[in-house]
Amino acid sequence: MDFNFSDDQEQLRDAVRKWVDKGYDFERRRAIVKAGGFDRGIYGQLAELGLAGLYIAEEHGGMGMGPVEAMVVMEELGRGIVMEPLAQTLIASGVLSGYANDDLKSAWLPRIASGEALVVLAHQERKARYRLDLCEAKASPAGNGWSVTGDKSIVPAGDQVDAFLVPATVDGKIALFLVERSAQGVNARGYVTQDGSRAAEVKFQSAPAALVTKDGLTALEHAVDIGIAATCAEAVGALDKTMALTAEYMNTRKQFGVTLSTFQALRHRMADMKMQLELARSMSYYATLKLNAPTEERRRAMGRAKYQLGVSMRFIGQQSVQMHGGIGVTDEYAGSHYFKKLTQLEMTFGDTLHHLGEVSARMQDTAGVFA
Amino acid sequence: MDLAFTPEEQKFREEIRAWVRDNLPQEISHKVHNALHLTRDDMQRWAKILGKKGWLGYGWPKEFGGPGWTAVQKHLFEEECALAGAPRIVPFGPVMVAPVIMTFGNAEQHKRFLPGIASGEVWWSQGYSEPGSGSDLASLKTRAERKGDKYIVNGQKTWTTLAQYGDWIFCLVRTSTEGKPQTGISFLLIDMKSPGVTVRPIIMLDGGHEVNEVFFDNVEVPAENLIGEENKGWTYAKHLLSHERTNIADVNRAKRELERLKRIAKSEGVYADPRFRDEVARLEVDVVALEMMVLRVLSAEKSGKNPLDIAGLLKIKGSEIQQRYTELMMLAAGPYALPFIKEAMEAGWQGEHVGAAYVAPLAATYFNYRKTTIYGGSSEVQRTIVAQTVLG
Repeated sequence: MDFNFSDDQEQLRDAVRKWVDKGYDFERRRAIVKAGGFDRGIYGQLAELGLAGLYIAEEHGGMGMGPVEAMVVMEELGRGIVMEPLAQTLIASGVLSGYANDDLKSAWLPRIASGEALVVLAHQERKARYRLDLCEAKASPAGNGWSVTGDKSIVPAGDQVDAFLVPATVDGKIALFLVERSAQGVNARGYVTQDGSRAAEVKFQSAPAALVTKDGLTALEHAVDIGIAATCAEAVGALDKTMALTAEYMNTRKQFGVTLSTFQALRHRMADMKMQLELARSMSYYATLKLNAPTEERRRAMGRAKYQLGVSMRFIGQQSVQMHGGIGVTDEYAGSHYFKKLTQLEMTFGDTLHHLGEVSARMQDTAGVFA
Repeated sequence: MDLAFTPEEQKFREEIRAWVRDNLPQEISHKVHNALHLTRDDMQRWAKILGKKGWLGYGWPKEFGGPGWTAVQKHLFEEECALAGAPRIVPFGPVMVAPVIMTFGNAEQHKRFLPGIASGEVWWSQGYSEPGSGSDLASLKTRAERKGDKYIVNGQKTWTTLAQYGDWIFCLVRTSTEGKPQTGISFLLIDMKSPGVTVRPIIMLDGGHEVNEVFFDNVEVPAENLIGEENKGWTYAKHLLSHERTNIADVNRAKRELERLKRIAKSEGVYADPRFRDEVARLEVDVVALEMMVLRVLSAEKSGKNPLDIAGLLKIKGSEIQQRYTELMMLAAGPYALPFIKEAMEAGWQGEHVGAAYVAPLAATYFNYRKTTIYGGSSEVQRTIVAQTVLG
């Protein structure tokens, strides 16, 4: 039991933090939002740092790293509220490495690692809400391969990416497919989301597809769990920065002739925010360290972690805005963008109520970190 | 980073588990598992069993006769004891005063006081709180005046836990009224059989006798019972309190009680109600998150780097969790929590229960546990300390 980061991990953190500070300042981010919420050049810079290949084995051109390194990177991206969907790349590389055949791996993993190809999960459907076992998209054999028909919602950078991982049913059972965006029958309608990043509604009409695995639900659950762990880490970075912004403001802004930080009511609220931050950080570690656990244990851990993160994000986000007063609700102030990011992360891969249901459904007689 | 305990730690855990299984009297664990009333004999019996093994002072370094365990080993010991249903070690001797005596006392005091604490023979009480001082400890008024080779002590302590059994009491006393209130305080050990010491029970809202008022009326205390230097007691007390707060998170007991909550809720037929079950689920996440925080602190202690300043958070969250599980157990029993039959909280009572036998102490425990966010520095005091770390 050890929660220290290795020297290599600290170096990785420093490298990403430096890139965020230099290459992704707030004005730069604002320009990207204005231009549609996605910048392939920025994504290319992440790939140049090696981050796109973080989960990909060295034989396929990646860095062959694990969940802890991914957590370190996602924390730093969260600290800078970076919009480019690296969490999706972790998911795609994790799923393809774990479930695809060798041909598919060789075709896609090196290109993902280099940043040449961006592959995202397209799994959300109108009626499924956050459930993974509900899927109306269908797939059927076509020639030597498959074809997929169905509509997927709020797909990250969906009109900009190179390919999608798409769950679709075969004989009533969910399978997972890879569909290229340039393929016939694929139509993506893009827009920006609340945090300023890009997403799309994607329609597949008899689109040619490659089968990743027939055990699609297992792969999809694994995909979402990689996403949950990454989202938790990203949230911790954003929470950390939100706290720092708020503390700084409280120590400078004066009301009634004294700084806000002298009022006990506000000091105690900061203590409550610190509590939520440290609970969140603890559960982000927990999610990361359980990512390679057996399925049931892993799923139980992700539900618990995402529930805690949801509670923490909503509390710290709302309190931070309130403590800033009027400036906190302006577009001009960076803090309001952290609030929107936190809100969006809460609704990514299952919101707080959804995961409370997951925790409730998976409760055992015993409880605790190891149960 | 690694969540698992090392194979050596795992082996240590298994040895502790086997030993506790073989040595914890079953009638005592039965009481603990069912929140029944523990007598002085129950508590002292277990203390002496541990004392004989050399584990009552399980946090002590080897040079003072302790096992010299690491932070992780101490945690595993606490966990195995809690899960097995061992009574909580009465902390005043082995956990609180002993480290102060070791760190700030002289060789003579080591020889005189530590063996009785280590063996569980001598029952210690804590004399910190006073009427009107509450969490503002520095405002205490009990006076100790030096007269030759004695101190003459006058004043009153309150909320003194289990002082009705106490042989000795360690007190913060005022030896000077000059300067800041913190600077005139001394740390004094007082034999409770001394003439002029009176213990008066305070009956609490659950009907139980757990705390007391202790009066000192011209009590003569030999000057050799002063720990360290006169007027430096505040420093020693802070040393002690830092010990108390880590311990007070009590996450292992929370795990055991969460299991009991689930059993009770199942048995009362309310576990299937999604609204109730969600409340249990929320508590489950709280317990896991608290445990992760405790493990983070342990990891930091183990590595000696990155000290974590989150002890205040452990106290706030730990005490809230304790209150929450007692609340949910009571609510699980529903109207059957309402009958107040004191004898039904004693083990072996032969009368007829109202509802299931396990419901008898549930409301009393809920009432009793309102104390957890008040003692050891109230949650409000803790929040002030935490805010200081965030805001300066």
